Amino acid sequence: MSSLVASLALQNLGPKVLDWNWISRNFSHEIIPAIIGHIYLSFVSVTIALVISLPTGIIVSRYRKAYPPVTFITGLLFSIPSLAFFALLVTVPGVGLGPRAVIIALVAYSLLVLIRNVVAGMDSVPEETKDAARGMGLTSRQILFKVELPLALPVIVAGIRIATVTIIGIATIGAYISGGGLGELIFTGISRNFPTRIIVGAVLATLLAVLADLSLLAIERYLRPWARTRRT
Amino acid sequence: MDSILKVFQRPDFLAQLVVHIELSVIALLIGITVAMPVALLVYRSRLWSAVAINTGNIGRAVPSLAILALVFPLLGFGFAPSLVALTLLAIPPILINASTGLRQVNPQIIDAARGMGLSNGQVLGHIQLPIAAPVIFAGIRTSAVQVVASATLATFIGGGGLGELIVLGFQRNELAIQLGGSLAVAILAIITEVGFGLLERAFTPKGLLVTSNHRSK
Amino acid sequence: MIEFRGVSKTYPGSLHPVVNDLSFEILDGEICVLVGPSGCGKTTSMRMINRLIEPSEGEILIDGEPNTAMSGTKLRRHIGYAIQQIGLFPHRTIADNIATVPQLLDWDKIRIERRVDELLQLVGLDPAQYRGRYPAELSGGQQQRVGVARAMAADPPIMLMDEPFGAVDPITRNRLQDEFLRIQEEINKTIVFVTHDIDEAIKMGDKLAILKEGGVLAQYDTPEKILAAPNSEFVSSFVGADRVLKRLSLLRVSDMELDSTNGDGDDLPRISERTNLKDALSELIGAGAERGVVVSNGDGARGTLSIETIRRLSHQAEAEQRYE
Repeated sequence: MSSLVASLALQNLGPKVLDWNWISRNFSHEIIPAIIGHIYLSFVSVTIALVISLPTGIIVSRYRKAYPPVTFITGLLFSIPSLAFFALLVTVPGVGLGPRAVIIALVAYSLLVLIRNVVAGMDSVPEETKDAARGMGLTSRQILFKVELPLALPVIVAGIRIATVTIIGIATIGAYISGGGLGELIFTGISRNFPTRIIVGAVLATLLAVLADLSLLAIERYLRPWARTRRT
Repeated sequence: MDSILKVFQRPDFLAQLVVHIELSVIALLIGITVAMPVALLVYRSRLWSAVAINTGNIGRAVPSLAILALVFPLLGFGFAPSLVALTLLAIPPILINASTGLRQVNPQIIDAARGMGLSNGQVLGHIQLPIAAPVIFAGIRTSAVQVVASATLATFIGGGGLGELIVLGFQRNELAIQLGGSLAVAILAIITEVGFGLLERAFTPKGLLVTSNHRSK
Repeated sequence: MIEFRGVSKTYPGSLHPVVNDLSFEILDGEICVLVGPSGCGKTTSMRMINRLIEPSEGEILIDGEPNTAMSGTKLRRHIGYAIQQIGLFPHRTIADNIATVPQLLDWDKIRIERRVDELLQLVGLDPAQYRGRYPAELSGGQQQRVGVARAMAADPPIMLMDEPFGAVDPITRNRLQDEFLRIQEEINKTIVFVTHDIDEAIKMGDKLAILKEGGVLAQYDTPEKILAAPNSEFVSSFVGADRVLKRLSLLRVSDMELDSTNGDGDDLPRISERTNLKDALSELIGAGAERGVVVSNGDGARGTLSIETIRRLSHQAEAEQRYE
């Protein structure tokens, strides 16, 4: 869709809109670093969020009473508009402008989806399966690592997918508080009224999100061989 | 704290709040008006609903800043271009949920309804839509929250809204305005989330809420 | 009366018909059971009656009129339709579920309310208790009762039932079948009943239409006749190796000509005249006796029944059987 928009832009505003010269001149020292910065921001955030969410989700799936307050708090965090969240965070002492504030916000945004999917994944393990494992003499630790987590993995990966796509999108806004990444191109493009930067930033951010979506979807399918049997 | 409260008394605060709400409400309404008929058109066909749902999924993956930014070189600066961008953002969640919600209705329930002599319109109106209502409303809720959040970004392409205050605070390095604007946006978003949550519950038929306490295993 | 006249159904893109040249009549007030293995087209045949599926060839007459004389939706409002319990509308109360067709037919409110209560009572659910509940709050058996009540709501002369007792445990199913047969004695509808279970078919049916793969009618007759004289290998194997015993279960002791008691009845087993012949046989064998004394409701002995009599009856029927 965005490529359609881009080509429309080309027709409407003439050849000057997409300045290919600028793109080739700045490819290696501006565009590539922006892509890498964007991937770095997103990857670090999802990883940290996963480290928090996995144990939290497992605990919450056992102590059900803790689940509603956890989803309530993470739900509130999730619904705060990102620009507001960033603006609030940079005023916190010790955080300030820069990637740190962006990463904190991105982690906060991922928690709801990740925890919810960890719990859903744990719930999806049939009671009979756990019972059979117990009956065969597995310890509860072994049941967790050999039965529950492998069976819950596809649902957890589905959560990682949604969180990653969301985060890649929000990370663009992080550039406003000097977080770097592809948003940098968009914002400078807007302030300098230079459409090429906007288009390159927006299109690449979109591509990155769609690519992450599709590849994580492929992983999700790969991890769920029992759902694929129909095809063969 | 006092200085933040003063922000809420600024004349431009109220004006930008109104613009923010206008942008969000209009975008959401147009979004519903576009997405629902499309969902109603495609849900019967497996192929077309897959097309709609996948398009919606890709649409959801597009960063909201990217959509706003791309609208700018095309349509320029201001309220209307922002509205177009926000509408584009509003459509996918509703389209996805409405199509899947309508498709998820158990075919045997539909068969029973047709078998008793309900016309196609009656099956849709009396059976399918009420049963799919919670899922459809969940989509509208997602869409509303996203639109309210993204409307904050409209300021970057001259659309106004509460983002204006946040940006103003940054530019002038006035912490109070920056915080006041952010808090206002956050509260607005949470009200939207909670409000639509209540609406979703109100539109969920009671029979779908009751637990099957009678069905012993 | 429902009349199938050379009805066939072939789905577009398929070479083989699912229903093949079906012709038979279902008489008023009878339960006709369409039974056969999966893929025999029994459900398709039933669904062509209320035009949820249109035949490719032939026609179906209802009381002499082709069922295409009115629109499909209008037709369906005058034919009861019950399927497995899942067909209840989850978002509507039990009362609203039952009231679906009366509401479509614009009955007034009071009449609908009265009808709902009457039907709940008929299927053995206390109206005061169940009217306002939702399907999810009912057990499987209760849901199926509601399904049957809903099909009867507008008092249609014809009812179509597709495995209406399919999704419950055998004990509940048996009870629902008995209840339904009792209800049918009161309401006397023309019923087309689909099942894959031959035992259910024999129990419920006044007539059985046994269909085989490809939607061909293998045999159409009363259960007694089909069990006594299956007309083909297919029917014979479909009704099962125990068909002689199944047939005995359809006959009652009171239907038999009894031998006179010779005053030596004291040490013989006693059989109620209302038991069926299969159970009577079982009792005799179990007691190790050749004969038993048939008693009616407390009135004392009516005569004696011997294993030999039952054997002769079954053997005769067997001898009549001829395959074409």
